Amino acid sequence: MGLTFLNGAFLVGALVALLPIVIHLISRRRVETVDFSSLRFLKELERKRIRRVRLRQILLLIIRSLILLSVALALARPTIRGPLAGAAGARARTSIAIVLDESASMGRSLDGVPLFDEALRVCRDVSELLDEGDQAFLVTASDPPRDVLPDGTFSREALEEALAGLGVSSSATDYAGAFAEATRLLGGARNLNRELYVVADLQRTGWSAIAARSVGEPASGEAESGEAVRGYVVPIQGPTGNLGVASVDAGRKYGGTPGLFSISAEVRNWGARRVDVPVRLFVDGVQVGQTGAALEPGGAAIAALTTTVDETRWHSGWVELPPDALEIDDRRYFVIPPATRTEVLVVRASGDEPRGDAYYVSRALDPSGSSERFSPVEVDAVSLGSQEDGRFPVAVLADVGRLDSSGENWIVRHVEGGGGVLLVFGSRTDLRYWNADLLPRLVGARLKTTIDRPSGVRLAPAGAGHPLLDGLVFGERLIDDVTVRRGFEVELGVDGARRPEEVLEIPGIGPMLILGRTGSRGEVGVVLTGIDPAWSDLPQSGFLVPLLHRLVAHLEGARVRGEGVFVGHDLTVVLDETAIGRVDVELPDGGTAIAELRPSGGRAVVAAADTPGVYRFLVDGREAALGAVNVDPRESDLAALEPEELGERVVGVTFRTLDVRGPIEGEIVEARRGRELWRVFVYFALALIAVEMLLARPRGA
Amino acid sequence: MPDESYRRFLDPTVVSKLATMELRARLVVEGFVTGLHRSPYKGFSVEFAEHRQYMPGDPLKHIDWKVYGKTDRFYIKEYEEETNLRGHVLLDASASMGYASEGISKFEYARYLAAALIYLMLKQQDSVGLLVFDEVIRKFIPPRSNPRQLHLLLSELERAEPSAETQIGVVLHELARRVRRRGLVILISDLLDDPENVLPGLKHFRHLKHEVVVFHVLDPRETRFGFDTDATFRDMETGELMTTEPFSIRGDYVEAVERWMNLLRRECAESRIDYMPVLTSTPYDRALFSYLEKRKRLG
Repeated sequence: MGLTFLNGAFLVGALVALLPIVIHLISRRRVETVDFSSLRFLKELERKRIRRVRLRQILLLIIRSLILLSVALALARPTIRGPLAGAAGARARTSIAIVLDESASMGRSLDGVPLFDEALRVCRDVSELLDEGDQAFLVTASDPPRDVLPDGTFSREALEEALAGLGVSSSATDYAGAFAEATRLLGGARNLNRELYVVADLQRTGWSAIAARSVGEPASGEAESGEAVRGYVVPIQGPTGNLGVASVDAGRKYGGTPGLFSISAEVRNWGARRVDVPVRLFVDGVQVGQTGAALEPGGAAIAALTTTVDETRWHSGWVELPPDALEIDDRRYFVIPPATRTEVLVVRASGDEPRGDAYYVSRALDPSGSSERFSPVEVDAVSLGSQEDGRFPVAVLADVGRLDSSGENWIVRHVEGGGGVLLVFGSRTDLRYWNADLLPRLVGARLKTTIDRPSGVRLAPAGAGHPLLDGLVFGERLIDDVTVRRGFEVELGVDGARRPEEVLEIPGIGPMLILGRTGSRGEVGVVLTGIDPAWSDLPQSGFLVPLLHRLVAHLEGARVRGEGVFVGHDLTVVLDETAIGRVDVELPDGGTAIAELRPSGGRAVVAAADTPGVYRFLVDGREAALGAVNVDPRESDLAALEPEELGERVVGVTFRTLDVRGPIEGEIVEARRGRELWRVFVYFALALIAVEMLLARPRGA
Repeated sequence: MPDESYRRFLDPTVVSKLATMELRARLVVEGFVTGLHRSPYKGFSVEFAEHRQYMPGDPLKHIDWKVYGKTDRFYIKEYEEETNLRGHVLLDASASMGYASEGISKFEYARYLAAALIYLMLKQQDSVGLLVFDEVIRKFIPPRSNPRQLHLLLSELERAEPSAETQIGVVLHELARRVRRRGLVILISDLLDDPENVLPGLKHFRHLKHEVVVFHVLDPRETRFGFDTDATFRDMETGELMTTEPFSIRGDYVEAVERWMNLLRRECAESRIDYMPVLTSTPYDRALFSYLEKRKRLG
């Protein structure tokens, strides 16, 4: 049994109970002096009456304060809930919001019963408890959360119809967003008696967005405005052991034959038992490879597979695990785009000599001037800032001393947008400029000084050898020796940034090539010796061409990796602008749709793609692009919160846990029936007013 | 002025606005007289003395027709004024008499009443004197019935102002010792003194065979204690202060005043003293009636 206030804001009004005391104190100071004929009778009375008067004054003060307090309390609508109140009490009209988890994890089954069916049954039970005047809202806890009944409904049938229209989605869970929406709706609800129902598997990863959104304090704040919201959580529990493909990386295999792709799949075990599991690779619907992965409890493994495809057209595929508790994450889709001629922006220092670093980079990328793979576009550093965003997947800054602010902004935008950057430092490099901000910001490194080795040292792979060098290294030697005479000493992992990978090394000086990123989508490579005969014999080496090809292909990599987007988000592909008229989309479930066309960049979009799989974009019936949509890997971790933890995460709501197997109505009805006590306080105030009038009445008047 | 318009001069507030004490006294008495069925000036203030021969110009109504029947001559009945009633008007001029809640103060009421009584008594050919007192006798004018007495007494009333404390008992005893010849004593006071002192003084007069009329003048607020808010009261005689919550003690106050007045009434009745409580809002005719009743009884 507990006491709550439906209009908690009026409790502030209880302060007016102090008013009589304040008035009394003020008026005491303002007593007027009056001439009177004789105090003879007053003195006689004083002896007998003075104590009674004082006592009466105090009594009146208390009574008046109690009257105001009672009125304030009555306005705050105190409600007592519990068995006693239920026996004698009346039923209060209620507004409820149901947060129903229909995320992918609710597709599990327990003892043959799908969790979502169980959740729907609970929701229907809650719906059964609605009565005339009760209001209901329904919000799904998927990513993004969906407000199914935006204005709420006063009809039980409408709520049940809305429930019937729901099914398990393939989306991740977003409790944070769902609670923010539900509390916002309850904040504007018609009835002051408010209840929040959470029917969910309480997947722990569903809260990951909370920190970012600060939904521990509801976004709208309305549910915290003093009105107590009663919360009920109905945990729908299912099996928590699960295997899933967390990610797939489909990249061209360095140094292999044309069309050879390496497929790296991260496979995870979220269960408590060690599992050996086969990992199968399918391309264009056909199994083309299989490997095995040994997964420790809570562990992950990379399953590496290769396939060869015709690079003149699009391909799609998936990596698959055997079915388990949650099947939807056992398959992860990817697409491989056809090889296209990539425009590479080569930025040279303004006023660079004809055969400077930029010259050698451009020649290396397109030796014959008609390469099908790369098309270098050389520009001066001063015009970098005016280059079109998104046109060049990779930019190479060949010994550019410094950038102006527009060029600097372009580079930062480019990397944050997923583009790759290769920085080649040489004789023109302005150390102070690069170290001040840009280099630490891009790759977490700072240049120290140049070190000369006039007799030259032989370039070598760093450590165990980076995959980038596959086929370019034989033991400790490169396919073609490179002698370096000067290089930059470098400090890595500065300002708390992740240490970049070291690919090549100049013995006695330090790294020659590093790769890394500092939170941006795009990757940055740094060459720490000039592509210049004065620094090294790279320009003359047979190593330069394959190295730069691989580097640029690697930095372009995001384009090739075909994992796509997560369910619930917009799937965007870039089409040939000239071809765009109308774009049809073949959906993974066999249906079709028409893609939205965005005015710039030839982009076609499927908004809020709700099915995992491969989406086929058709222009005039011809395949123009493929896009992959996958389940958010957060959804694969089925570990659940304890219901008690909910109260710690949602401010302003006190949650009670209801057993999904037991009848839920008892506790809800009991609490909802709570007896409103405002009448009691009104009667009490009236009684006090009567007493006050009797006491305050001038005797003998 | 029509006779009825005199009646408004029985209202103390109206009277207070008149210019002189004589005018006030005359108008109050005239206003009172117009309300009577018979003139108070006739019937008891003169006695038959002798017959004299009729002279032209004498009122015919005074011709004694019985003598005419016997003697066949006109004789006029001659009357003699009776001046054996000696009245003393005792006016309390203590500071408490200066209290006025609204309208006129008790002292103003008392002196207008005294003036009216003096006027009436002198009109009735009685001799009347005046004693103004507070804790001591401030002024004493022995009774006379000559025409100058009215002016003398009214002038004294005009000059009197309330001040100092009351010592009614002492004053009454003092006066009783001075006035040896029995007569009518009219006390106009708020009697705000200890009844243990007041009553023996009044009884002293009775002991000396005086007739005593007491006009107990009070302000309406003194009887009802009609104050609304908390206040600090200052005694007009002693300057003493007391803070209280009037409405909470009003009942007890009213009861105490009633007990006090009942005591005075009872004790006066036992001593055959006419006790007449009047509020400053009471029209003067009530007091004058009371006086006339008393006068009638005295013959």
